[in-house]
Amino acid sequence: MSDDVPEGTPPAGGPPEEDAGSTAYVPRRVTTGGSTTGSTTLKAAPPGGQGRRKPRAGRHNSALERRFARMGWIFTAPALVVVLAVTLFPIAFSVAMSLSNVTVSSGGFQLSGVTTDNYSLLLGSARWQHALVFTVLYTVGTVVAELVLGTMIALVLERLSGSRGWMMALLLLPWAMITVVSAQLWAYMYNGIYGVLTALSNGLTGEPRQFLGTPGPAILSMAVADVWKTTPFVAIIVLAGLMMLPTDVVEAARVDGAGSWTAFWRVRLPLLRPALTIAVLFRILQAFGIFDLPFVLTGGGPGDATESLALLGWQVMFTNLDFGPGAAVAASTAALVLVGCLVFLRAFRARVGDEETTA
Amino acid sequence: MTPVPRLKVRFTWVHAAALLIAAFVAAPLYWMAASSFKPQNEIGANPPTVWPDSGTWSNYRDAFVTNNFGTYLLNSAIVSITATILVLGLSTFAGYALARLPLRGKAPVMISLLMISLFPTIALAAPLFLLMRELGWLNSYQGLVLVYAALNVPFAVWILRNFFLGIPKEMEEVAWVDGASPLRTVLSVILPQAAPGVFTAAIFTFTACWTEFLIALTLNTADSYRTMPVGLALFGSQFTVPYGTIFAAATVSVLPIALLVLVFRRAVVSGLTAGAVKG
Repeated sequence: MSDDVPEGTPPAGGPPEEDAGSTAYVPRRVTTGGSTTGSTTLKAAPPGGQGRRKPRAGRHNSALERRFARMGWIFTAPALVVVLAVTLFPIAFSVAMSLSNVTVSSGGFQLSGVTTDNYSLLLGSARWQHALVFTVLYTVGTVVAELVLGTMIALVLERLSGSRGWMMALLLLPWAMITVVSAQLWAYMYNGIYGVLTALSNGLTGEPRQFLGTPGPAILSMAVADVWKTTPFVAIIVLAGLMMLPTDVVEAARVDGAGSWTAFWRVRLPLLRPALTIAVLFRILQAFGIFDLPFVLTGGGPGDATESLALLGWQVMFTNLDFGPGAAVAASTAALVLVGCLVFLRAFRARVGDEETTA
Repeated sequence: MTPVPRLKVRFTWVHAAALLIAAFVAAPLYWMAASSFKPQNEIGANPPTVWPDSGTWSNYRDAFVTNNFGTYLLNSAIVSITATILVLGLSTFAGYALARLPLRGKAPVMISLLMISLFPTIALAAPLFLLMRELGWLNSYQGLVLVYAALNVPFAVWILRNFFLGIPKEMEEVAWVDGASPLRTVLSVILPQAAPGVFTAAIFTFTACWTEFLIALTLNTADSYRTMPVGLALFGSQFTVPYGTIFAAATVSVLPIALLVLVFRRAVVSGLTAGAVKG
């Protein structure tokens, strides 16, 4: 099991590391096979590496190497400490909270005992079951729609020559907008009395339509608002992937008599898989944690039709102040996200780590 | 069939499709900007007016003079800019170390960073609320800055590491031969060359902080510490939503991001694709 991330720059052309005295740069690939520092942690960096040079068979320069390694950990430590303190510790605490009886009083906050009550409460709750089904179906539906639309948009933009830059700038605007803003905007446009979309649909079909008033249309309307904001993200990633494709492969397919339709399905789409995988992965994660849009657009309603897992968790915790069950919602949501991503990656047989680290 | 008419057909088809896409993306944005100039009675007009009949700045006055959107905007700016600076400081060194220095255990570090950065923030909300309450950092700048920094360091490290890998090694090697320490190497050799990468990371972090809602809603509920998203979400009562005021504030909140994105389009696009293809 190698700990090394494959380096992007190939070691070709580097000077051979023979002279321990003069080669004062880091070896490109550190493979100290029998090293005892396998579990180097932040604090366990070898002390005084500079002075004590331990000659190792076939390896020179190890003191310098260790000095650089120590420097590396010093460089990395602050970032890791901040990330761990603010994410890993809370995640662990969330799990602990979900597994105990939580009592909130004016004096403070107490965890007692180990129990699975919070989770059994969850499993038996129709509201949670509904939120789970809604979140899963909503995620699948919007991500598929965004993927299809995003790919179509990318294909159109690829054929544009002059105005592509401007189109991309325009596409970036919804993506960079505050989600709360777009939610307020769509809420206004969907408004049953003076919304522009209500007026338009009234003019087209001749009958008044309430977009957010009944469960089915409300879910669909929310999905449209979501697709508007996030499809551009998918389109831009796919477009970047398209522009990176080797043109000779497509040319070869053309020469072999493939039409542009066949060339797309048989040649280009398979080659696009890494780009599509990344786009879908990011979108699944975001969509599954959706909170801002239903919070503002529908408040989870009508009834609890558009209540996502994140919205349910937040309301249980901060509106009802039921921290135990709320933590169970939150922790199970996080676990489901991880499982979902692993399943997706397995299904696509994509190795994201490899693609990402080989820059 | 000759190729010429086929080309012609495709040409118009592409342009029609592009126009349709542009209209779908731009129409809601136009509606927001236009509505921000409509007086109260025109906001609620049925049928709605496409162009403001009697354009007015009163919504902007209402948002920033009568109401507290100026404060929310300032809070958002303080938190986002501070967090961005912090993230860049932390991630530049971490990204450099992960790209160049001989660390054991790089792969686990990178993969756990990625996993953490993808975690749904709802799982963090309650523990962070309790933590900040213990620290007395509810309704403060530092609490939100710390959380935003931690949430955005992973992606910034990814972007910067990928960028550093693309910089030729020769200059660093010269610096090392000359006896420069890694710290000095980063500051005087790497940073000047990595400016575009640092910039991309900065835009991403700033945008993420500027738009974040869930954590801000959880930690900073006091009116004087609300950020723009929280202020926009909680404005108005249960029965009336003053859309004119909201859209005036919203339009102002979109402007800095729009400028960033329009001016630095390339940096944003390269950051978006940093995960899938090289930056």
